[in-house]
Amino acid sequence: MNIVVCCKAVPGLVTDLKIGLDGRSLQYQGQLLSINECDEYALEEALTLKRAHGGQVTVISMGGIKVQDVLYYALAKGADKAVRVDCESQDPRVASAVLAAALKKLEFDLVLTGTQSRDTLGGQVGIAAANLLGLPFAYAVVDVELHDNNAVKVRKELGGGRYAEVELALPALLCVQTGIQPLSFVPPARRIRARQQPVSSLSPTDLGLPADQLVPKGYRFVAVHPPERTHQVELLQGNRQEIATALLAKIQESL
Amino acid sequence: MARDILVLVEHAEGKVDSITSQLLTIGHRLAEQTGVKLVAAAIGHKLDSVAAAVQDSGMDKIVLVDDPALALAPAEVQAHVIAEVARQIDPCLVLIGYNLVGMELTPAIASQLGMNAFTNCVAVEIRDDAVTVTRPLFDSTIHAQIVLEENATAVIALQKGSFPPLETSSKQATVELVSVDVTSIPSRSRVVGIIEEPRGEVDIAKAEIIVAVGRGIGNEEKIHFTAELAEALGGVLACSRPVVDMGWLPRERQVGASGKTVTPKIYVACGISGAIQHLTGMREAKRIIAINKDPNAPIFQVAHVGVVGDLFEIVPALTKAAKEARVRQD
Repeated sequence: MNIVVCCKAVPGLVTDLKIGLDGRSLQYQGQLLSINECDEYALEEALTLKRAHGGQVTVISMGGIKVQDVLYYALAKGADKAVRVDCESQDPRVASAVLAAALKKLEFDLVLTGTQSRDTLGGQVGIAAANLLGLPFAYAVVDVELHDNNAVKVRKELGGGRYAEVELALPALLCVQTGIQPLSFVPPARRIRARQQPVSSLSPTDLGLPADQLVPKGYRFVAVHPPERTHQVELLQGNRQEIATALLAKIQESL
Repeated sequence: MARDILVLVEHAEGKVDSITSQLLTIGHRLAEQTGVKLVAAAIGHKLDSVAAAVQDSGMDKIVLVDDPALALAPAEVQAHVIAEVARQIDPCLVLIGYNLVGMELTPAIASQLGMNAFTNCVAVEIRDDAVTVTRPLFDSTIHAQIVLEENATAVIALQKGSFPPLETSSKQATVELVSVDVTSIPSRSRVVGIIEEPRGEVDIAKAEIIVAVGRGIGNEEKIHFTAELAEALGGVLACSRPVVDMGWLPRERQVGASGKTVTPKIYVACGISGAIQHLTGMREAKRIIAINKDPNAPIFQVAHVGVVGDLFEIVPALTKAAKEARVRQD
């Protein structure tokens, strides 16, 4: 079974956040990019399925050259191939169009990705791409079973401790939930070796996307700021004993 | 903005989800401010009780697609039906709840309609005659305000709990039955069944005092700090999702969208940053105490009492104080 894993490269600490000149993008000083945690679980699930059923795991990420680090990390974890799509957009409509076009260039039975990225917290691109490609999809998947090489049976969360079991014909796209597999540790030596593996790249021209599909439309950012406090939190100060005493008093008066 | 506002009614087993009343309240306000109609839509099977439950919520019309094939339909079929209903109504805005159901359906509906979708929103309002949404970014440490351009359409998925509850209205909505040929929708998936999580040994939903531990605890060996606090306070230990994902505590202890919703008298959050998925499950607690070293952690958005500091200093000190108080009481 051939699996494509979509991994987003996300910044850690973000500073100096500003709205871009076009009003539809955000600019910031993003320090090191690392693999989006939700997507790392998708990668682990893909590698687990590969160990059980064979096939190849291809990891794909979208962005500039800095994204390559995330692809090398995925190769070090055990992915067979890496593809970088040379296109930067945080707009879900643009990103899903680009991702769908890139997936069309690859052979796969299954596409895995995470539930959301920690930077935009959108959770849209996987399913929107599935819709553009006409693939069946499932979100917040906690268990994947392969059936006769032409279907998967998955368990997905409905919330509040309820789950649905869904059967999807392959090819299909799954957004896997965190915790589906334990995250594996990658020894530094493997990470260094992985940097010698080739990473192929696709440009928007390679994908043949019309220019108007690469531009966000219909909205603009007007402000970015820390969340407004909707209610006042009472912050306790003092040494640890004073805080403990005050906290205990707060607890006792609430009972 | 002459086109209607469409609210998607979420329901399970004949009961309307509480997020729907929040969506209707906000949809009603937007419709009044902009002088358009509010339309609700529900899809499923045997929708009489669903329609009755929301009919007096101030909308002008409720559209029902009632079909046995929708009783247990996969997401791709549901999204298709909702998109078809939306095409007939041709709304400017589609409001949907941002829970696990909405997370799956929103991108598919928006993609089918060729609309922008804004997920995870904490607010949608009219500012300077423009539809403005507020949504979190970067682990919820930042909020972005986004203005829709004039005549732009969008699917807006709203978080639970950020809006006042529904006011009932004397206006009774007209009910319109719409039929969609569900069986002809191309579908390559099917729902096999629905499963309820088996009950574990503790039911955190019943506890009056909860001490909850998050990723900030660092590793499994340190969980005992919070377990001891729970015991000293006579409460139970719960946790956020990453703690379960790491295998440090069993799933039955998880609070949040995919775990349990809890409403204890006291909720002490230790090292929990407060991702929306967690807040959804605990924001209704009577008193929320948060201990976190990051003053910008979103948990302080819902906490009543906060301590910005090292949980390894505060938690043992609180445990000691609680134990001493118990001794004095005895």
